[in-house]
Amino acid sequence: MNDIKLENSLSPSFPKIRRISETIGNIIGLLVIGILFWLQSFFDWPIWTFWILVGLTVLTILGIIWSIFEPTYLYRSWSYQYDDEYLQLSYGILQKEWVTVPMTKIQSVTTSQGPILKRYRARSIKVETVGSSHAIPALEEEVAFALREKIAEFAKLKEVDE
Amino acid sequence: MRYHPLTIAFRIYQLVKSNFFIAILLFVLNRESEFWIWKYGRYVFLLYIIVRLISIVLSWFVEKYEWKDRVFHIHKGIFVKQSSTIPFNKVQNVTRKTTVFHKIVGLTSLTFETAMDGVEDGIHFEVISKKHADELIDLVKANQVKVSEPELVSTMELEEEVEQEPVQDSYRTVHFTPKKKDLWKASFTSLSFLAIIPIVAGLLDNIQPFLEGRFEGILQMLLDSSWLFGIMIAIAVIVAVSFGIGRTFIRYGKYEISSDATHIYIDRGILNESYFAIEKKKIQGLEMEQSFLKRLLGLAEVKLISSAKPNQEDGSVNVNSLYPFLPLESAYKLIEEILPIYQVNSQLERLPRIALWLKLFRLNWMWIIVTAVLFYFKPDFLHIAWWGWSLLLLGIILLNRILNYIHTRYVVTDDQVQWWEGGLTSRMFITKRKNIVEMSYSQSRLQSHFQVATVSTTNRSTPVHVETIQDLPLDFALEMKNWYFKRVEDVEFENKK
Repeated sequence: MNDIKLENSLSPSFPKIRRISETIGNIIGLLVIGILFWLQSFFDWPIWTFWILVGLTVLTILGIIWSIFEPTYLYRSWSYQYDDEYLQLSYGILQKEWVTVPMTKIQSVTTSQGPILKRYRARSIKVETVGSSHAIPALEEEVAFALREKIAEFAKLKEVDE
Repeated sequence: MRYHPLTIAFRIYQLVKSNFFIAILLFVLNRESEFWIWKYGRYVFLLYIIVRLISIVLSWFVEKYEWKDRVFHIHKGIFVKQSSTIPFNKVQNVTRKTTVFHKIVGLTSLTFETAMDGVEDGIHFEVISKKHADELIDLVKANQVKVSEPELVSTMELEEEVEQEPVQDSYRTVHFTPKKKDLWKASFTSLSFLAIIPIVAGLLDNIQPFLEGRFEGILQMLLDSSWLFGIMIAIAVIVAVSFGIGRTFIRYGKYEISSDATHIYIDRGILNESYFAIEKKKIQGLEMEQSFLKRLLGLAEVKLISSAKPNQEDGSVNVNSLYPFLPLESAYKLIEEILPIYQVNSQLERLPRIALWLKLFRLNWMWIIVTAVLFYFKPDFLHIAWWGWSLLLLGIILLNRILNYIHTRYVVTDDQVQWWEGGLTSRMFITKRKNIVEMSYSQSRLQSHFQVATVSTTNRSTPVHVETIQDLPLDFALEMKNWYFKRVEDVEFENKK
């Protein structure tokens, strides 16, 4: 499975979307750390809190560097496929994941759209099963709706012995 | 129909039982205290008890149940009326418990557990007459059987070794009742707490300097004369051991596992009697667990994985467990007898050698964090330096991983998957392909370099049962993926177009 490629890939604007949302997250993270630094010096917190904050800053900066490259790689690693019986997802850069869920075991499917996704006319899809939930982060709107309809249609089938 | 009137008494008894300690705390131990928590706590507590008492009495008047056409209808709610319907075939298992309270009044309790997604999970009759309970059980069972096809009745063949006891229903086969020997072994597994004695002795050694002056008289005398100290420990051990043995005998002494063509039954208990029944086809998988001590004694616990909510009211006795102290051979035999569709294989495959190295060199965050904490505080506990503790922990973790490598075995046959895994505690898991609701596998960079993968399967259960096996050969993982794609062959649809 070193590189399983399933039939479909994410919306091509996924890297952009991801980069924007990560940037927003990083800015908020840096702001919080800045405030904590200020609190630390203002209230004279013990010195070890300072070192923890320095550690956090280093981690955040590493995260920012990573987030420049990550969206492209993540986009390349993501693929999914569905037919009458199974929904399959494959993703992950360092840790490859491959998940398969029988259509009949899907309990609900939700599409959602935040402001960034809306700007790129994309939607994310969340599929819930008895055990867990899986999300496809960004699909073009028409594709997302088609997938939702398909899943809804097959989720209606009920297996004997439930 | 209203519930039995003694339900009120039972609920009040429960209320008293669960609030007893708080009451003691508020009104006896801190009677004199003027601290605000205690002072106002007393009023809040009284108010709470009064409200609960009123609601217990009122709710008895509004709670009703009835059944019509294989469906239970339940009504409840004092202010907000609530009614729910539960079809008989959604009932996963039946539990009947006779606690000491029920024994005194000659009644029993009954629970039908379901696995529907909603607040109202199951029907609970806290107090019910024995006759009515039997009627309801038969009612639900009769209608469950009607829906299902009669299965192969290979369980009916009686094995010679099985002790035959008078069976209540003529067609129920008894598979297991514990013998005296099993019970002694079982009580032995509860002796693991004895391991704390050396630790306590070491602790006493350490804290002695702090205690001096305070308990000088008694403690010093105890510690000084070693024979007196020895006698004290001996008495404590004897008390603890006989308590443990007594508890085991009371809890597991009277125990009977039986089955018929469609259901599995467990009757148990001396003081608190309970009856448990589950439909065979509702079982999602089987699990066999051996703790370290149990493995030394050749015992195992067999658990049924089902989507019914485990009802944990009676404390440590798990309803999903067949019997926690089965001798290993009996455990295998029991599975074969009561669930013949599961074939327990003894020929399993082992992990590739490379898996051992991967397991040994995988980072362990717990160890890193513990070591960092130890490094910072540098405690001198029991005269062993901090790095000693860190190494000890590392040793245990590595031992566990080596054992995990040795214990992990797997096999996939027709429509069934079976594996053993675990370090100090080892576990076997069997399930059918159609009961696996989700399958996934993953590969880290390192794993993909060495052509191994982690496979996990999900089964319906409460909570969801996820099995994860690390470092399986990639070929096998791919094979298993294809195996899973054939799942459709095993599944029938209720409403296929």
